[in-house]
Amino acid sequence: MHGRPRKAPKPEDEAAATAKAQKLRALQTQFFSFHHSKIYTKDAVELSAKLLEINPESYTAWNYRKLAVEHYLSQPDCNPDSVKSVLNDELGVVESALRQNFKSYGAWHHRKWVLSKGHSSIDHELRLLDKFQKADSRNFHAWNYRRFVSELMNRSEKDELKYTEDMIYTNFSNYSAWHNRSVLLSALLEKKAEGFLSKENVLPEEYEFIHQAIFTDPDDQSGWFYHLWLLDQTVTIDYPLLVSTWPAHGSDVFLVGDRCQIGSSSPFTTLFSDSGSFPIVLYFNQPVEGVSSSTVSIECGFNKSKDLLWEPLSVSNSQTAQVWVAHLKFPTSELDSSVEVSVGHTKEIVSRRGFQYNHPSTFSFKVHVQPVERDSSQVSVAENILWREENFNVYGEQAEESIPIVSFDRLCIKNGHESAASNWRIEALAKEIECFRELLLLMDCKIGKLTLARLLTAYDAMLFPFANKLVHSEEVLELYNDLMKLDPTHHRYYKDEYSSVLLQKMTSSKESLLQHCFRYKDSVSSAIGNTICLRLNNLSLSRTRALEKLLWVQMLDLSHNELQSIEGLEAMQLLSCLNLGNNKLRSLTALEPLRKLKSLRVLDISYNQIGDHSIDTTRYLCCSPLSHSVGRELNKDETVINDVTLNYWEAFYVFRDLNLYQLDIVGNTIADEKFKPVLVKIMPTLKRLDGELLD
Amino acid sequence: MESFTSPTVTQRDQILVEQQVFSIFKTFYDMPPSSQSFMLELQRENHVEYLTNGLKQLGPSFCVLDANRPWICYWILHSIALTDEFVDPELEDNTIDFLSRCQDPNGGYGGGPGQLPHLATTYAAVNSLVTLGGDKALSSINREKLYSFMRQMKDASGGFRMHDGGEIDVRACYTAISVASLLNILDDELVQNVGNYILSCQTYEGGISGEPGSEAHGGYTFCGLATMILINEVNRLDLSSLIDWVVFRQGVEGGFQGRTNKLVDGCYSFWQGGIFALIKRLNSTKGERSIPLGDGEDSTASSDATEESSNKDLSQGGSHSEKGDHHDTSSRVNVDDISHNSSKGHAKVDPLFNSLALQQYILLCSQDLNGGLRDKPGKSRDHYHTCYCLSGLSVCQRSWSEDEDAPPLPRAVLGPYSNLLEPIHPLYNVVLDRYQEAHEFFTGS
Repeated sequence: MHGRPRKAPKPEDEAAATAKAQKLRALQTQFFSFHHSKIYTKDAVELSAKLLEINPESYTAWNYRKLAVEHYLSQPDCNPDSVKSVLNDELGVVESALRQNFKSYGAWHHRKWVLSKGHSSIDHELRLLDKFQKADSRNFHAWNYRRFVSELMNRSEKDELKYTEDMIYTNFSNYSAWHNRSVLLSALLEKKAEGFLSKENVLPEEYEFIHQAIFTDPDDQSGWFYHLWLLDQTVTIDYPLLVSTWPAHGSDVFLVGDRCQIGSSSPFTTLFSDSGSFPIVLYFNQPVEGVSSSTVSIECGFNKSKDLLWEPLSVSNSQTAQVWVAHLKFPTSELDSSVEVSVGHTKEIVSRRGFQYNHPSTFSFKVHVQPVERDSSQVSVAENILWREENFNVYGEQAEESIPIVSFDRLCIKNGHESAASNWRIEALAKEIECFRELLLLMDCKIGKLTLARLLTAYDAMLFPFANKLVHSEEVLELYNDLMKLDPTHHRYYKDEYSSVLLQKMTSSKESLLQHCFRYKDSVSSAIGNTICLRLNNLSLSRTRALEKLLWVQMLDLSHNELQSIEGLEAMQLLSCLNLGNNKLRSLTALEPLRKLKSLRVLDISYNQIGDHSIDTTRYLCCSPLSHSVGRELNKDETVINDVTLNYWEAFYVFRDLNLYQLDIVGNTIADEKFKPVLVKIMPTLKRLDGELLD
Repeated sequence: MESFTSPTVTQRDQILVEQQVFSIFKTFYDMPPSSQSFMLELQRENHVEYLTNGLKQLGPSFCVLDANRPWICYWILHSIALTDEFVDPELEDNTIDFLSRCQDPNGGYGGGPGQLPHLATTYAAVNSLVTLGGDKALSSINREKLYSFMRQMKDASGGFRMHDGGEIDVRACYTAISVASLLNILDDELVQNVGNYILSCQTYEGGISGEPGSEAHGGYTFCGLATMILINEVNRLDLSSLIDWVVFRQGVEGGFQGRTNKLVDGCYSFWQGGIFALIKRLNSTKGERSIPLGDGEDSTASSDATEESSNKDLSQGGSHSEKGDHHDTSSRVNVDDISHNSSKGHAKVDPLFNSLALQQYILLCSQDLNGGLRDKPGKSRDHYHTCYCLSGLSVCQRSWSEDEDAPPLPRAVLGPYSNLLEPIHPLYNVVLDRYQEAHEFFTGS
């Protein structure tokens, strides 16, 4: 079939081939008659061998031979010697079939079947394989068979590792050999074989090995792929960890039943809630499942109900998510109480790859509930947030102690982070960094620059976990800047990485965060005069990342960037005002993360590209709005679905669950005169659309 | 101490291919525009002639394909359908009769009359019959027996065996699930644990391998992804790393390689290119069609009420009554959403791969001007490569379109607009209108 070597036919060959075809036809007729009447005589079995020699793909003939062997083994006169010789005959037939076509699935499978019987010597197998693998070193049948044989003969993985080394020295472009090496090493590390007790002993040598290949020819793909695997092995922390929470450990949360000015509390931790509850957010280092009231316990003076409902914040509706939220009800009377949350004291929180959360941790915070006398006239005022420059005042250094990121460090300590065990990782990364700096001195190499940028980012993250310094961020940003110029084809990829590093840098310390904190105050509305707005506008960001440090943010300005996606924003459960104006959002479905933001009241998506393109190509990774669960959920409100909403299904899908008061959508292709009444219909809570007060 | 030497054998082979391909491109670019346009022309008539001859009489060199005869039918018939040509009625009749003789009395199709039933040849036979279309072809398939054959091939691990006592791999899973879905006999028993098997084959590279422990491979990645979409478990895959892997398989030649550091090969125009078609549609699907509507609203909700109601059938679990009621709709995906949707005309979407470069590789390097397509320059044409190069070309031409029913923009089609091929349903790789006919036939709507 595919990939078999072909020659152009010559006339004399053609005559021979015709003769061969006739022979095959005769053989076949005879074979099928034997097969269908279950005749397994010596002659009959030999005939099938002839057939297979001509056509190794004849799987019916392979099956016939299996039946013949089984038939023979069930005879009363068969003895160990004859069994062995019968099976050896099978191996002989396979071997000549493979000579004819070493990509024949049937032939390789038959050989596995014979050897699994356990009567044949397997010593010959590796020699045979060597022959085939020399002829075609990338043949995946041969590599699969090799794994099968070495398992069968209990050949040590170390010997196999040596074999991959030989293959690599013969041709370091042979990615199959590199790949098998990664498979073998993973197996050795997993079972903690002698000499492979930990990655610490193994990976540094592997780095040495790969450097030889990379330095010999930095343009070869194979080595870089293996290097990427090594890097992944070095930085991946298998076990789930809690990296951030809201409320933060040791913080004071002020809860107010309705919007009003309150006295002395910090604007960072004052939450206005009209639902009588506040969210508790758990942010892990990777997606986990199993967060529930049995794995997370909450001690508090005011809520006796033990069964909090934990919800995964994932757009794909899966039960696995990096961020989880639960809503805790609070009483309407005045209250000062502390809350203690314990995570993972039972073992059911697990990562996607099956690793258990095994760093039980506890965080606590104080809750102050402020009784509010309802003033109906105040509530009915439709607020109008104006994202004008003059409404924002630099927050300054005051009340610095209350910015909630302080408590990250305390949380980390409680995690009992595996710091001692990580020393070798840091050393390995440092060495790699040095090595690739050298390489880049020798030559200008895109993949070298990219690798260096990745190494530096990983190094910073590891050396200062969750902490305040990213020493190499300037250098990394510079590298991505270079790459954008050097390799315009992958510009968008580098841009995304650039944005992500920039955001990490800005959120890494109190000082840098405070530079972006502003106090919002406009002339009309005094109701939210105390709000802090985090302004990350005009930074040409193409992606939102590093949100774990921004869980406290209630008002966020991301306007005038280059965002095409707001992936991850669903983690910011306290958001009530969001400005996404003047970005590059291309469809309403790109706003899907907003569906999870139940506190969102004010949204600005004006001057994007919504409606220009009917598909948002940046959303390849998100789930389809058509997944069955969505369809089912929609069944319930069939009454809402009518002609109008059907044509604006995406709008219905995204906005239906939001309780927006204020929406700005002007400056998008989709926002024509027909669309506005639809929006009003979908969102009965809407009071202001594009600045105009609705009736 | 051993050391590495450069260039390696692999690198030398790669350099040779690049030289060959680039010299073709150079010749092309040095030509006057009129000759360029001729060079880029798809030699429809020659291809159809080459294909039709293959269906009538094959040379003796085809002996080795004797256990794959339904495949030859599929490669040829599908290629002809892509060019919007038909085979003459007598040939069509003969083909249906031949495939009927390949059908095992206990279900499934073998590689030829009298051969054991095999999942891959079953896929080829069913796709051939769907491509031929018509009552005779479609009703020749014994669905009840085929279903029980599939159940026998189902392994306890969740995967499928190719044939009785045969190997288990991702190909077997895809061919089984694709056929079951196309014939509307997919149920929870067949679906059970298939997803786990496919997941165990996704490697750290991002792509999917043929069996656990092996390296990622274009053909298997297509099969694995399509299977996961068909059983509605696609979100269990690491799609982001899968996309990372597949985008980097397109090389400087414009065509795709099948695995890391392998040579370009025209057939991956479909195996890898088809992955992009699947991914694009995963996210471009429009809501209108999957919302089950109340009876009174059908006519107003869609201008095409027939399609709407057939969708409704599918999304509610199909109507294959012989297999009892399907209560669990979650194991099935609405396959119509993957293939076409009803939104407005010429929407333009940037594909995630370089579609024009791939078309250039197919037309200039894979095309044999005397008919038939091939792996790469210097190789000879064959039906397999003709089928998958043309399927890939069809995918490319619509890689900007959102709507399969509307013709793509001229600039999406490299060469003269007459190069435009019929659209395919990327999950099954059959021509779209043939799929629709079969779909209506097997859902009884």
